[in-house]
Amino acid sequence: MSQNNMLAMILAGGRGSRLHDLTNKVAKPAVSYGGKYRIIDFPLSNCANSGIDIVGVLTQYESVLLNSYVAQGRRWGLDTRDSGVFVLPPREKADAGLDVYRGTADAISQNIDFIDNYDPEYLLILSGDHIYKMNYDKMLDYHKEKGADATIAVLPVPIKEASRFGIMNTDGETNKIVEFEEKPKNPKSNLASMGIYIFTWKTLRKLLLADMKNPDSSHDFGKDIIPTLLNDGKALYAYKFEGYWKDVGTIDSLWEANMDLLNKQNDLNMNDTTWTIYTEDVTTPPQYIGANASVENAYITQGCRIEGKVKNAVLFTNSVVEEGAQVIDSVLMPGAYVEAGAVVTRALVADNVRIGKNAVVGSADSENILLVAKRVKGVE
Amino acid sequence: MAKAFGIINTPASHIKVEGLQQHRPIGAFSFLGRYRAIDFPISNMSNSDFTRIQVYVQGRVRSLAEHLGSGRHYNINSKRGKLQLLFSEENALNDIYNTDIANFMEYIDSIRRMREDYVVIAPSYMIYTQDYRRLLDTHVESGADVTLLYHKVENAKDAFLNCDFLNLNRQKGVASIERNIGSAKDKNIFMDTYVMKKELFVELIMKAKKTSSMYTLRDIVNAECGELDVRGVAHKGYFATLTDLKSYYHANLDLLDYSLASTLFDPEWPIYTKTTDACPTQYFEGASVKNSYISNACQVEGTVENSVIGRSCVIGKGAVVKNCIVLAYSTIGEGVHLENQIVDKWAQIIHAKEIVSDPADPGYIQRDDTL
Repeated sequence: MSQNNMLAMILAGGRGSRLHDLTNKVAKPAVSYGGKYRIIDFPLSNCANSGIDIVGVLTQYESVLLNSYVAQGRRWGLDTRDSGVFVLPPREKADAGLDVYRGTADAISQNIDFIDNYDPEYLLILSGDHIYKMNYDKMLDYHKEKGADATIAVLPVPIKEASRFGIMNTDGETNKIVEFEEKPKNPKSNLASMGIYIFTWKTLRKLLLADMKNPDSSHDFGKDIIPTLLNDGKALYAYKFEGYWKDVGTIDSLWEANMDLLNKQNDLNMNDTTWTIYTEDVTTPPQYIGANASVENAYITQGCRIEGKVKNAVLFTNSVVEEGAQVIDSVLMPGAYVEAGAVVTRALVADNVRIGKNAVVGSADSENILLVAKRVKGVE
Repeated sequence: MAKAFGIINTPASHIKVEGLQQHRPIGAFSFLGRYRAIDFPISNMSNSDFTRIQVYVQGRVRSLAEHLGSGRHYNINSKRGKLQLLFSEENALNDIYNTDIANFMEYIDSIRRMREDYVVIAPSYMIYTQDYRRLLDTHVESGADVTLLYHKVENAKDAFLNCDFLNLNRQKGVASIERNIGSAKDKNIFMDTYVMKKELFVELIMKAKKTSSMYTLRDIVNAECGELDVRGVAHKGYFATLTDLKSYYHANLDLLDYSLASTLFDPEWPIYTKTTDACPTQYFEGASVKNSYISNACQVEGTVENSVIGRSCVIGKGAVVKNCIVLAYSTIGEGVHLENQIVDKWAQIIHAKEIVSDPADPGYIQRDDTL
C-alpha cells in the first residue's frame, strides 16, 4: 500500500458461456489472447504499471487454472515486500456456512476483512475479462480532484449501440453523473460504463454492509450500488477513456480482437515498452520459419514452427504449421498443430488441438468464425 | 541434496571474440536470438538438480549480473539453493595473471565451505546440453580422479582452433590436454568440463597456485595426468564453442537445421532464460522470411533468409537480410541489403545501402552504431 493507497479487486468469476468450448474448463479471464497472453494479464499488468501494490482476484467459476495462474504474482512484478496478488475464491465462514458470490458487490462484501487488513483509502474495482491498457493512477488523480465518492470509467460508444450497455448520463460540463441506465431503450448519452470503478473505501464499505442485509438487492454494482449512491446524493463522476477496449464475449469478437493486432498502428500498441503487458514466462526457443514457408500479415510468438503458409493470422505459443499447410484469416491457440497439407480458414483452433493431414477446416465465406475445439481427422 | 555443486568457469585469456567481447563476457553473448550463452550451462546444472552454482566472471559484470539476478528463472530455489556471482577485478586486465585459478583463489573459502562432495565445472562459452547426474554417476562408477567431457569432431582442421583436445589412450584415459592447432581433422575436442571431488579440486587449485601464477585449471590437470586417473567421457548431441567470431556465427546459423536444433531443445530439458516480456512479432504485407529464427517483438516488413534475429528488431520494407545474426533492438532500414554480418545490439543500419562480407569471414557491426 506504499504507492498510492489504492487496493484493486478484480472480478474474475465469470464463465463467458458464449465462448462455448473455450470456457468449459477455464474461466473467461484465463482465456488466451494475443499470441502469448491471457486476458487477465491486461488488468493485472495495468495495476502493476499504475503503482498498485495489492490486488485481490475474485474467482468462482472453474477456477483451478485461473487461481494457480494469478497466484504467481511475480509474473506481473507484484511480489515485492509490500505487494502481492491474492486469490479470493468464496469461502466458508463461521456464521454463514459456504456462500458463493451472489453478485459483483457481494464478492467485495464477503472480502471486507481482506481489504481492511490493508486499510486502503481507495478501492479500485475491475473486471478480469477486458482487453485494454489504462493508467488507474491517473483515474485516481481525477477522483481526488473531483472530490468524488465514486468515479466510473466510461467509453464513448456509437449512439445506436448504446442500448447494449450500462449508460451514464452526465451533466456535460463537469462529467458529474446524474443518472445511470442499464441497457436503455432510448439512450440519452453514449457513455458506456466499462465496469471500472474507484470508490472512496469508507463510503463504499458502509454501503456494502447495508446491501448485504438487504433481501431485495441483487448485490450488483450496476443494479444496486451505483443507483443507491445516486439516490443518496453522493458525488459520482464519469472518467472518459479513449483508446482500445474490448470485451470479448463471443468467438467472433475474440477472433476479431486478435485480428486487430495485425494492424500496424493498432491502438493496443503492444510494442510500447513504457506500458508492457506481462505474462507467464515460457521456456521455448524463438519462432522458426522454415525454408519453404510464407508468412505475411501475421502476429507470431516464440515456440512456433512454420513450414507452410500463414496469412492474416495470429499464432500462439508453440503452435505449428507444417509444410504445405495453410492458415488464413485464423487464430491458432497455444499448442495448436496444423499438419501437412491442411487448410484452415476463418477459424479459431483451440489449445493443443490437432488438424490432421490435408483436412479442410472453415471457409472463406462463412458468416461466423469456426471454433475448432476437437481434433480434426486427416484425409489420406 | 545434489551430490555436486556447479561452477561456471571463465574462458582462458587467449580466447578473444572480436567486437562482441568488448561489450560483455562471452557468457553474456546473445545466442539464437533469445538466450545468452550462459543459459545453457546453468540450465544443464539446474535440470541436473544442482542447487548451488558459482558463476565466475571477469571484466564487465553488468550484463551478467542483470541477466542472472537471483537465479529464480533458472529454477534455483531461493531458500535451499544459491546462484553466486563471483567476480574478479584484480587480474582482469593482465593476460598473464588472468587465470581461473586466480579467481578460485579469491573465493577458496567459499569453495571449501560447499557441502557437496563433488564439483562439476563447466564453461560459460560453450553450448551443449548434458545431464550432469549421469556424468557424475559415470565418474563415480569408474573410480577416476578426474573426468573430462569431450566431443569427437571431424573438422578440427579449420574449426575449434582456440580449443584444446584430449589425447586419449585406448581405455579413455587422458594422457594429455593439448591445444588444437588444426593439424588433423579428427580430434576429441575438450569441452572444458570437469568432474572431481571437491577436496581434489581444492588441492589442484593450491598446487597450481604454488607451481606457477600463470597456471590454469586445464594446465594443472594436464600436468597431473601422469599422477592422477584422468578419464574422458564422450558427449553426444549438439556442441558448439563461442571462441572466436567465426565460431559464434556458425554456432548460431548451424541451428537453422531444425532437426539439429531439436537435439538441443528437448522439451524435457528446458533451457531457461530471463524473460523480457517482449510481445509477439509482427509480420506485415510484403514480408518474406525463410529458414530463420525470429525472436519476439520484431517488426518485419522486408526479406529475411538463413538468419537469426534478436528481440525487438525492425526489418524495414524492401530490406534484405541474408545469413546474418542481428542482435536485439537493431534496425535494418528500408532497402538496406545485408549479407553475412553479425550486427550487435542497438545498431541502426539506415544510410548504408549494401554491406556484404565473405561468408568465410563474416562482418561485425558495432553495438549502438549507425551506418
